[in-house]
Amino acid sequence: MQPVIEMRKMTKAYRGVPAVKDVDFTLMKGEVHALLGENGAGKSTLTKIMAGVVEATSGEMLHNGQRVAFANPHEALQNGIAMVFQETSLVPSMTVAQNIYLGEEKFLNRLRGIYIAAQQFLQSLNFSVDPTASVATLGAAKRQMVEIARAVHHKADVIIFDEPTATLTPEEKRHFFALMRRLKASGVSIVFITHALEEALSHADRISILRDGELIETGLAAEFDRNKVVRAMVGRALTGEIYNRRRQAPDLRRRGRQILSVRDVSMGSMVRNNSFSIFEGQITGIFGLVGSGRTETFKIVSGIYKRDFLRGGEIEFDGRPVRYNVPVHAVRDGIVYVTEDRKLEGFFETMSIAENFYSGPLAADLTRSSVVSFAEMREIAADWSKRLDVKAINDNARVVELSGGNQQKVVIGKGLAQRPKLVIFDEPTRGVDVGAIAEIHRFINQLADEGLAVVVISSYLPEVMNLSDRILVCRQGRVVEEISPVEATEEKIMFAAVH
Amino acid sequence: MAAGTAHGVWSQERIVLALAALLFVAAAIFLPGFRDIGNLISIVHSVSVLGLLAVGMAIVIIGRGIDLSAVAIMAMSAAWYLQLLNDGWSEWQALGTAGAGVLAIGLVNGFLIAYADVPAIFATLATGSFVFGFVRSRLITQDAIPVPAGNWLEQLGGFHPLGIPPEVFIFGGACFIAYLFLRFTKWGRYVYYMGDNLLAARNMGIPVRPMNLLRYVISAFIALAAGLLTASSLHSMNTRIVNSTLLYDIILVVVIGGIGLSGGKGGMRNVIVGAILIGIMQNAMTIIDIPNLYQNLIKATILLIAIVIDSLVNPRDEQTAQQGDI
Repeated sequence: MQPVIEMRKMTKAYRGVPAVKDVDFTLMKGEVHALLGENGAGKSTLTKIMAGVVEATSGEMLHNGQRVAFANPHEALQNGIAMVFQETSLVPSMTVAQNIYLGEEKFLNRLRGIYIAAQQFLQSLNFSVDPTASVATLGAAKRQMVEIARAVHHKADVIIFDEPTATLTPEEKRHFFALMRRLKASGVSIVFITHALEEALSHADRISILRDGELIETGLAAEFDRNKVVRAMVGRALTGEIYNRRRQAPDLRRRGRQILSVRDVSMGSMVRNNSFSIFEGQITGIFGLVGSGRTETFKIVSGIYKRDFLRGGEIEFDGRPVRYNVPVHAVRDGIVYVTEDRKLEGFFETMSIAENFYSGPLAADLTRSSVVSFAEMREIAADWSKRLDVKAINDNARVVELSGGNQQKVVIGKGLAQRPKLVIFDEPTRGVDVGAIAEIHRFINQLADEGLAVVVISSYLPEVMNLSDRILVCRQGRVVEEISPVEATEEKIMFAAVH
Repeated sequence: MAAGTAHGVWSQERIVLALAALLFVAAAIFLPGFRDIGNLISIVHSVSVLGLLAVGMAIVIIGRGIDLSAVAIMAMSAAWYLQLLNDGWSEWQALGTAGAGVLAIGLVNGFLIAYADVPAIFATLATGSFVFGFVRSRLITQDAIPVPAGNWLEQLGGFHPLGIPPEVFIFGGACFIAYLFLRFTKWGRYVYYMGDNLLAARNMGIPVRPMNLLRYVISAFIALAAGLLTASSLHSMNTRIVNSTLLYDIILVVVIGGIGLSGGKGGMRNVIVGAILIGIMQNAMTIIDIPNLYQNLIKATILLIAIVIDSLVNPRDEQTAQQGDI
């Protein structure tokens, strides 16, 4: 096998701080190469250099033996190197087909022609996406498919996937990996960045692990196992591995007082006659596929969405019927929702860590007075930074400058600073590195031990199974089954979620 | 990534301040009469009404929004007030009525934006035109309404403690109060949180809709104050000012001072720096005797340069800086 891409002594520094340091990386022809590492380890930066998105500070790159330096992504694409981004780069107002053929429209651009071509093309990839739908109407998973289709369409011989499966359902993941195998068989070389270690171990030929911008290890996937990968990623063995613990009957928490009761709640076609209860002092895990209405249900509970006005059902919180029109009232009553999309609706990106933490008590009217006290702000920030172990230079660092795990901790902290009675975590560890996942899980467990009512919504089965004291499975807008984690298996939960 | 060293030193505010200092030194050396104390006072005087309007605009823009009705509210509320006085209404009746009108417009702006989800730029454009049209056609009799003889506005216009016109004090006072509001009150901090990330602010329980009402009401009342101040120094309120470029000058002051139109950043310092730069520029250009048309051209060029430098020095994040919005 010969190398398609060779990088030598690749370095990229932002404002003097290296994100990637002297990395030697080789991609062989027709291989699937997984890139692993904690957030901020330099995976994205390395691949962006490859795809011409960022320019390297120093080092050289060979493509098929030729020395290259791409000035922009377009140039890289012309050379057959395509990157599929984590945050999608599609034009939302255009249709799927238009997006796939973006940049190669003919002078007379007949939509019918490209719809037919796109239809056949998407079918050949086994993607069930309507080519005439506008991208804005698609969910995250389908956007990802369009993005992948575009890269394949450009006949790239190197495709870089930045966390391709983060938003996909298990079914879609299977299609994705089948597609990856087909691409590989046709000679395409693939780099894929992932946080899901199992995916890397079972689908990659080789694995490279980065830590703090340096390449720690490269080797055949067969030579790795979970523990070895984790050790290389975090530089130490994790004490008490996150997902290998099985819940036993005696260590399940007993349910406390019922704090939330939801009866026949409906909202359009997303949530339909949903009924369930949440109790204090335990963690209720919510599992469901994309579109099962789990996020929507809890956004209704926390006042972000409104349930149907007629036949919308009833919600009782803390023994009192409630109908929140705006989140303010829910927050003041003690319901806090920690979002799944922290960039979009989680943190305040131009502001410091301290101001982000302080926004919680300020919004919930828990500050000492209406006059802002900077001493109080520092106090609160120091307290929560310590409790959640936020790693930053100081509390004045801006949140955008933090890694995903630390951003998530800030979002969690500013919610909990509102002293909730019920806290809802929506995908608390999405896009978070292994080390931080363990810390966040420990923190969530601690909250339940202290007697708080905790809800964890997750599409990652091991997370649901390890964290929950009871598991509710959602399908088509309602909770369909309650499973005890003691008798739960991945198959059992998945079966309830899809049938 | 570590905290940037670059963006701390060369924020747009500092670039503009350096530019203003440079202009000031150059004008002081080369322009005759520029250094006179009278001229320096007139520089600040010339921008204080503009600056006052910019204070209101800044509060709106920091919380993510824009108020295109500011100039219409300023001119028409003051003109209506003067008309009522000329019609023989008592001082308090006239002020109360005009004030109620201003409150109503501020509330309508806020309501359209917060509750009816109309984009701020359209809502305020429409209310501005409505206010101008309605007041001009129904409530006042001519384009320019004079200040009645002996009115307090006339006395205010003639009141020059230490030889400094009252506008300067009022602009300074407004900046100080707005500074205290934005920096030290809970509601002031809400404005920043909303401007930074509206969805996050809403979800975590900040009352975003009442805050929208509050911001546009504040902006409307500041416009009324600016109108009364204009009337006091010119002894009349000419409503044709609505059709001038004043509105764009307000936005120019705010943006050139470094308050991003995307919201969430900046403060009163930026308004003062922006106003001073514009003041020095206008004064220098008037002394050199550059025609008005070219003055606008030069201002526009400087605004563009400031925006471009800002986006180069302070990219929103690394990815968009490197690749643009792909």
